[in-house]
Amino acid sequence: MNFFKRAWLNVWAKKGRSVLLILVSSAILMFVLAGLLIRSAAVKATETAKTDAGATMTLSANRQAAFKKIQSSSSSSSSTSSRPKLTLTPVKLSDAKSIANLSNIKSYNVTSSTTANAKSYDTVSTSTGMGGNSSGGPGMKSTSSSSGDTQIDGVTSTALTTDFTDSQSKITKGRGIKASDKGTNNVVIEKELASQNNLTVGDTMTIKETTGSKSTLKVKVVGIYKASSTSSASAGPMSTDPANTIYASYTLANTIKGSKYAGTADSVTFNVTNPAKASATKKAGNKLISSKYSLSTDDSSYQSIKASMNNVEGFANKIVWLVAIAGTIILALIVILMIRERRFEIGVLLSLGEARWKIVAQFFTEMLMVIVIALAIAGVGGKFVGNQLGSQLVSQSTTTQTTSSSTSGQPGGSGQPGGSGSSGMHGGAGGPGSTTSSAKTKNPDLEIAVSAVDLAELGGFGLAITFLSIMIASGGILRLEPKKVLIS
Amino acid sequence: MLRTEGLGYWYQDKEQPLFQDINLEFEEGQSYAILGHSGTGKTTFLSLIAGLDKPREGDIFLNDRSLKQIGLTNYRRHDVAIVFQAYNLFNYMSPLNNLLTAMAITNASHAGDRGYAQRVLNDLGIGDDLITRNVQRLSGGQQQRVAIARTMCCDAKLVVADEPTGNLDEDNTKEVIDQFQRIAHEQGKCVIIVTHEPDVAARCDHQYRLENKQFVQLG
Ligand SMILES: Nc1ncnc2c1ncn2[C@@H]1O[C@H](COP(=O)(O)OP(=O)(O)OP(=O)(O)O)[C@@H](O)[C@H]1O
Ligand SMILES: [Mg+2]
Repeated sequence: MNFFKRAWLNVWAKKGRSVLLILVSSAILMFVLAGLLIRSAAVKATETAKTDAGATMTLSANRQAAFKKIQSSSSSSSSTSSRPKLTLTPVKLSDAKSIANLSNIKSYNVTSSTTANAKSYDTVSTSTGMGGNSSGGPGMKSTSSSSGDTQIDGVTSTALTTDFTDSQSKITKGRGIKASDKGTNNVVIEKELASQNNLTVGDTMTIKETTGSKSTLKVKVVGIYKASSTSSASAGPMSTDPANTIYASYTLANTIKGSKYAGTADSVTFNVTNPAKASATKKAGNKLISSKYSLSTDDSSYQSIKASMNNVEGFANKIVWLVAIAGTIILALIVILMIRERRFEIGVLLSLGEARWKIVAQFFTEMLMVIVIALAIAGVGGKFVGNQLGSQLVSQSTTTQTTSSSTSGQPGGSGQPGGSGSSGMHGGAGGPGSTTSSAKTKNPDLEIAVSAVDLAELGGFGLAITFLSIMIASGGILRLEPKKVLIS
Repeated sequence: MLRTEGLGYWYQDKEQPLFQDINLEFEEGQSYAILGHSGTGKTTFLSLIAGLDKPREGDIFLNDRSLKQIGLTNYRRHDVAIVFQAYNLFNYMSPLNNLLTAMAITNASHAGDRGYAQRVLNDLGIGDDLITRNVQRLSGGQQQRVAIARTMCCDAKLVVADEPTGNLDEDNTKEVIDQFQRIAHEQGKCVIIVTHEPDVAARCDHQYRLENKQFVQLG
């Protein structure tokens, strides 16, 4: 391969020109790599977003179906004076279990809420701070006759509720409610309620049911949590002070509601393993339940991260291709000029009977040697450029992202039925796990790291750019008449 | 060895050919000079017999084989060696590498033989101190001698040169012509030189003048 040796001799002898070419190529490749790095970082961030952001699917009573029923019954029996009543069928836990067996379900949380009245303790009734003001004065407390002063949020596990996963609420002492608390009278109370009544972990307190036999119940404090002020702000004016919310196992809440509520729940929230397949899982789940229930998915935080990462990825793709095309054109122009300057050399090669493709191959090899060194330089520099560009892009897409999520975000979370059940306990919108998910949407930082795959891809681009630019410029070699060397 | 039959060439106008119906014969072991005024078509003629262009009319035969038959690239690689007035050498190589490159491309019998290339260069007065130096740091006369050395170490039996002494002074001209004579007489090759200079032409075995579209033999 004589052309290989010629290429090497040329690159080595014309060091100045080679260095210049290396610098130009490095600059081009550096931007290509920066684009590639941002792109793969965006892909990776979307992957992590799947697990971090997660998605939930909620099984609850079908409100629409229930409304329809009322409408039809009121029209048919308009003569009767009885007002039609909205009855929502409680969710059956057996349904929830069969949905939980679907492949894309990681875990699920049963919620059943009710109220009770304080017996051995005093509820927090003061309206300290802004949150208290907005939740209404003390007069609001007894608006609903069947509603007690203590909110009981029955769950499978507090760790699975959005209030706790979002860190809106935190366990400060003891532990949260766990799946093993099923069937027990263990509760977790708010810090303010605890300090007001001198309660601590291990103490017992007594509550009184608001309906039925109105019997009293002894419950045991296993943990104390601190609610953040934001949760009080989100609570509606009908609700009691958020400090009066007690977490318990859903079985306890069901017991308070009455015996016919055993084995039911207000709603069941499923944690979806792969948010990308949330809607498919919903479809599969819908087949397992009757029309009295509805399944709703909330993958908004995943969707918004995905959308913004798609933005970044798309932009990175554009960078890659624009730079690659511009780089090819620039290199092609340089090579065209180089070939003009070297037409005598090409003429001598042709006069010696060298094949034209070997002359093209020599130029290609020369550029390849340049590109290999440029690749090494770009590999080092690309990470830096990628970091700069990446952080810029993320901050930009975050601002555009916030505006879009506020429109797409579902108000009041995923339609958690706050006071479901015929007893209609509390009318507040703030049930457990009903915080709006858009609030926690945070774009992941792009982790710019040069991987072997990125380098291989960059090498591919470098090769393609070199090949194309030589191909474009080689027209000059292929057209050159060898006679031109004689007549100069 | 080389024969032209009814050779003719024109650039734009067929009615105004540079030369027409040229029937010449060139023999091995002989040197030929082609004289003529500027613009008469000497270089054009040389480009045809060097296989750098195709004739418009007639044909060229090497040992009774048409150049069309041999193929121009093949012909240039194996049968003809060319010396130009200038820019003969690869300017990014030493004299030694210039010779080795030419030998490799033409697939010469001595291809890859550094010692042989070195001897040919030494023979032409390019000492060991010069043979590994970049050719751009050689004088014009030295460069032209390297170009001649290149034709000597390749196997081609036909050597053509277009004004090889055009850029040289008297001493260098004499030296270069002596070498061409050696190529013809010692290597037994056929040497065809286009030149302006009557002195140069006089030292060749045969002289032709291109005038009125015809080659006229002078001596
Ligand atoms: N590519 C071309 N297209 C058109 N005309 C050309 C071309 N090349 C050469 N000519 C013309 O053909 C004629 C012969 O050119 P050529 O170079 O063969 O002359 P020459 O005898 O070698 O001249 P000189 O002694 O000056 O080198 C000239 O008149 C020149 O202008
Ligand atoms: Mg000429």
